[in-house]
Amino acid sequence: MERMDRRKFLGGAAVFGGGALLSACGGGAGSQGQPSATPTQETHPPIDQEPGTLNILEWPGYEAGGTKAQTYGMLAGTDYTKEFGTKGIKYTYIVNDTSAVNKARQNDFDVLHPCIENVQDYVNGGLVQPWDTSLLSSFGNLNPALTQRGVVNGQQYFVPWDWGYASILYRTDKVAPEDATGWELFWNEKYKGRISMWDGAQSNFEVAALYLGLPEMDNQTSDQVQQSKDALIEQKPLNKFYWQSTYSDMQPAFKAGDIWIAYSWQDGYVNMKAEGLAVEFMQPSQGKLGWVCGFMLGANTENYHHAHKYVESFINHKACIDLTNLFYYGSSDMTVQPSDVENKALAKKLNIGDPEALNSSDVNIQSWMPNEDEVALAWEEVSAA
Amino acid sequence: MSVASSASPQRASLFERLTTPGRGWLTLPAIFFLLAVFIFPLVLIGLYSVNLLSNRFGVPTNFSLTNWDDFLPPGDNVFWDRFKSSMIITLLVSVLAVVAAYPVAYFLAFVARRRRYTLLLLILAPFFTSYLLRVIAWKVILSNNGVINSILWQLGVREHGDGVTWLIYSWFAVGLVLFYSWVPFVALPIYVVLENLDTRLLEAAQDLGAGRLRTFVRVTLPLSLPGVIAAFVFVLIPTTGEFIAPLLVGGPDSSMFGNAIQSFFQETPNWNYGAVLAMWLIAVVLVLVLLFGRFLSTDLRESKATT
Repeated sequence: MERMDRRKFLGGAAVFGGGALLSACGGGAGSQGQPSATPTQETHPPIDQEPGTLNILEWPGYEAGGTKAQTYGMLAGTDYTKEFGTKGIKYTYIVNDTSAVNKARQNDFDVLHPCIENVQDYVNGGLVQPWDTSLLSSFGNLNPALTQRGVVNGQQYFVPWDWGYASILYRTDKVAPEDATGWELFWNEKYKGRISMWDGAQSNFEVAALYLGLPEMDNQTSDQVQQSKDALIEQKPLNKFYWQSTYSDMQPAFKAGDIWIAYSWQDGYVNMKAEGLAVEFMQPSQGKLGWVCGFMLGANTENYHHAHKYVESFINHKACIDLTNLFYYGSSDMTVQPSDVENKALAKKLNIGDPEALNSSDVNIQSWMPNEDEVALAWEEVSAA
Repeated sequence: MSVASSASPQRASLFERLTTPGRGWLTLPAIFFLLAVFIFPLVLIGLYSVNLLSNRFGVPTNFSLTNWDDFLPPGDNVFWDRFKSSMIITLLVSVLAVVAAYPVAYFLAFVARRRRYTLLLLILAPFFTSYLLRVIAWKVILSNNGVINSILWQLGVREHGDGVTWLIYSWFAVGLVLFYSWVPFVALPIYVVLENLDTRLLEAAQDLGAGRLRTFVRVTLPLSLPGVIAAFVFVLIPTTGEFIAPLLVGGPDSSMFGNAIQSFFQETPNWNYGAVLAMWLIAVVLVLVLLFGRFLSTDLRESKATT
């Protein structure tokens, strides 16, 4: 249930956060994006000859502003829906990263919103084609460190948009400060039955790798996968449960006191704090996890220009500021400043207004696992053990 | 027309039924429906299980029983162990549900009289809401600051904030939710049998000197066994593949075999191994159906006729 729940939760975050919609802060500047090979436009009919129907693979909560499905007041997408209306837009929802790839294999999508660790899967499967970055006027504002991660075979297949952290959310009134040092807290017998790791294969093997000190968390050898698996089996009895959904599982249990220590994204921290709980979002000694999601262009789209317009309406400066203020996530827009973030304390705490935050050495950005099948099977064995 | 079909038209072969004008053709929609939505997907799953289909990019497909070899004993396999533990909880829930449902059915059939249908409706009323919602409702009751723990705190039985931890995210919670979910449905087949029981037999037993308990043990219970067994199977078969309750109220050690199947198909690209588990479960269910099928297919009202 990888990204869905995080996004699903955002609704709740938005509600008690006031659902802030930012005022416009002017356009971005700069042109620091990585050069990419751009497909020739001659092969695509002009926009007025396109059907204008966009079939989009998206996480719940991230629908374009102006559509009925967008209930959180998100600004992103509004430029597109104002110009082209909402009737032609159809969303198919992502349940988790793996099933998203499966859905993309079975259906033709115009625009997809996967996360960076799966980019290679989409490219390898021939499900996507490169973007023409010259049609994305805000592309130059995007963080080159992130856009570069979306380049495959010299072409810009992935346009990064939203990013965030994963770490340990814990109760400071229940967990001794000397125990809250790093990912090893998940393995601390003292808190047996009060811990909840996420039911996610890749993330848990990444956490295990960080705990074990393995050199490359996303490129583990078979022996290392076995080590991580053993560590996770050892950790398993300490969990109260593996959470499936941050919104309906983890956070209610955290709030209820069933659990004190949980794998979480930063919205969990913001919301538990707002609930009045004494919580902290750990800066593990081994570093937090960092995730990046963004847009890909369907291989067989008949709406080439519409798709570019759609994505531009998400990556523009105003939409990026709104993303941060509404959902507490970072955006790939380099021109967003900490001063643009309404909650200054939060901005400082989470570095969400700092476009360079993900480049920090204390963040381990998730990436494609070449042996993801092996890891997935190993995780199933942990779950069934 | 064959001799057999002349003598017993109802036992005509499938081919004959299909080729008999004005009659057999009527079954075609049902047959096509079954082929399309049941047999065809089943064949696909079977092909996945022997690696003749694959959901993974660039993985060659060729006939292989490796996953079957890995799953089936001998040899240690965590999924096989999970299957065994799931069957134990399934059997336990099925037995408990039948035992609990019998008095309900008995009450409806013999005591409730004119109010029986109203009561039946009331019993089934919670089931007009989604199963998912009902399971989530149990979380409200069982969680650390839920109804039960709050009562314990109010009564001073436990210190405030210190809830009973095994109430939720445990085998207990999974068993309880499954039990709750199935009792009303289990009551129905038993109720149908009891409702149609020839009450003259009960009167006869009492006329011959049997007490109420003896009448129940010697007459009522044996005659209601078809309903009891049907009820048992009603719980057993669907619970064998259950995954929602363990997902929502189960702990890390209380996931069931159905969760492993769901997880393979939902969370991993490795549908081949998931297909092995799914085919195994189908085989188990088929065996259960064959074992208990006659109770499921029997017209429960026959219990009256056979008495």
